[in-house]
Amino acid sequence: MSFEDDDFVEDDEMNMIDEDEAASDSEAESLSDSDEEITEKLAEPTKTAVYNRDGLLDKLQDISWPEDIDWTHKLTVEIEQGQQAAVDVNDDLAREMAFYTQALVGTRQAFEKLQEMGLPFLRPGDYYAEMVKSDTHMEKVKSKLLYEKRQMEEAEERRKARDNKKMAKEVQSQKMKERAKQKKDEIESVKKWRKQRQQSGFSEKGAGELDLEFGNGKSFQRGGGGGKKRPGVSPGDRSGGKGKTASRMNNKKREFRDSKFGHGGRKGLSKQNTAETTNDFKGGFRGGKAGGNKRQKR
Amino acid sequence: MGKKRKHSETEQAAPLKKDDSAPERPKRTLLGWKDKAQDAEEPKQPAPEFRNKEKVLVTCSRRISFRYRHLMLNIVSLLPHCKKDSKVEAKSSKGATLNELVELKGSSSCLFFECRKHKDLYLWMVKSPSGPSVKFLVNAVHTMEELKLTGNHLKGSRPLLTFSSNFDKDVHWKLLKEMLTQVFGIPKEHRKSKPYHDHVFAFSIVDDHIWFRNYQISVPHNEADKVARGGLDKMTLVEVGPRFCLNPIKIFGGSFGGPTLYENPFYVSPNQIRALEKRNKAGKFAKKIKAKTRKKMHELSNPLEPDEFADMWKDDE
Repeated sequence: MSFEDDDFVEDDEMNMIDEDEAASDSEAESLSDSDEEITEKLAEPTKTAVYNRDGLLDKLQDISWPEDIDWTHKLTVEIEQGQQAAVDVNDDLAREMAFYTQALVGTRQAFEKLQEMGLPFLRPGDYYAEMVKSDTHMEKVKSKLLYEKRQMEEAEERRKARDNKKMAKEVQSQKMKERAKQKKDEIESVKKWRKQRQQSGFSEKGAGELDLEFGNGKSFQRGGGGGKKRPGVSPGDRSGGKGKTASRMNNKKREFRDSKFGHGGRKGLSKQNTAETTNDFKGGFRGGKAGGNKRQKR
Repeated sequence: MGKKRKHSETEQAAPLKKDDSAPERPKRTLLGWKDKAQDAEEPKQPAPEFRNKEKVLVTCSRRISFRYRHLMLNIVSLLPHCKKDSKVEAKSSKGATLNELVELKGSSSCLFFECRKHKDLYLWMVKSPSGPSVKFLVNAVHTMEELKLTGNHLKGSRPLLTFSSNFDKDVHWKLLKEMLTQVFGIPKEHRKSKPYHDHVFAFSIVDDHIWFRNYQISVPHNEADKVARGGLDKMTLVEVGPRFCLNPIKIFGGSFGGPTLYENPFYVSPNQIRALEKRNKAGKFAKKIKAKTRKKMHELSNPLEPDEFADMWKDDE
């Protein structure tokens, strides 16, 4: 909503200018006869504004409805505003909350009154009538809400995946280090055993002292623990593996645009000399946009 | 012509309808179910029976921009007791022409959207025969078509009007409140009005502006005339729109003119704001030139001492 910013800035400036600008404007010249001229709380001392209280009261008497009519004609509720001064105009959230609470409190009071009167005021579930916004519009609203929800979920997933990947990387590096250490240890122990045997003169009874664990066959598998899970990726590949991310993004954009504006049609193949067109006298299917008067945006 | 007589006919028929004891099946019309209970409600008052015969004429000036036109169309859809008329020429003495138009259409009030310079929207709210008229400057317009305003309600259902308490603090606010009630409140047994109350208008005064919001009421309920226990606490409001902010400029005694009864002392016209901005910006270049000449004068009057080392590196090229 790009217009919102402009309008609020304008409001701000109006207030600032009232206080700062010394030159008075021509709005101050009162049009014509007025019984009393009271200078209301003015920003500048030079301005005089018309405020004809008696006239206003007279007009109010003229137009208002009689006092004793039923409340159901007017349906007005007045809401006390406790902390009205605290609502800053420029704080959007607080202002909207104030309006919301005002409407909520008002509706509660009104509903209580209506309930006392015993009038039906709630729409039954099977009452179908014309709504102020069309169904197509509500579809658009719904799709936008779903889209936003999906975006948020995808962002969450992506973040989690990134964290998991970091974790996984750490875990993997740990494992690699462990394996390297183990390998070293085993080699060391073999060397030590050989030395021992040498020292003890190749006697046969030293054979049982070899302490290797042959039960753990995993360490001798090719390509590191568990085998390569992604054989298509070469070891030196740093791009993160398969799946060209760039073209995937463009594809999504293209799909969205196609769904909104329609498929543009094949690039240059509308008039080619192919097998089908050779045998086709008088021209058959003339390509994608054979729809007559098809305007793009209706 | 036949339609105009229908009101008096229903008026005579209404006392007969009061005798229905059992609720009949609601009559089916093209637009929905017409509940008989709505017709049976008649204000029980002393002698003068009050009928709200408010009719609002909604027009705009030519060269109105799209956003404001959509706002006007939104308001037309919100008020079933209004009649939309074609665009009015700008330069004609608009007081006389519009007064005639209002009388011709037989309406009792008028909402005239005047768009100036394709940028500013002024709204005139006028009570017809001799009533007061108010000129507002409209800001912060958001129409119902914005996808962020997700609520929806019956077209033509009568709204509940809520006003903040500072409408009673001063005379001109009281007058505005009365006018807003009469214009935005749908007459009770209007032909095109729908029976249930499922939306609420909120008018509040913040910073001497009138803010308008329209919310849809959603409350869990099973019956049409009773809210479930504790249901009132679960009531939520969803904004339907449109949204706008009115800044009262002047209140006149007559329609579209007449003696000024009230003038807003804080009002600065948008033209002046723009002029001020331009003047501030215009000053920049002049200031720059002045600064340059000042610098030259300063340099002339205080010559620098000759620098001994200035020529040191010159020979090295």
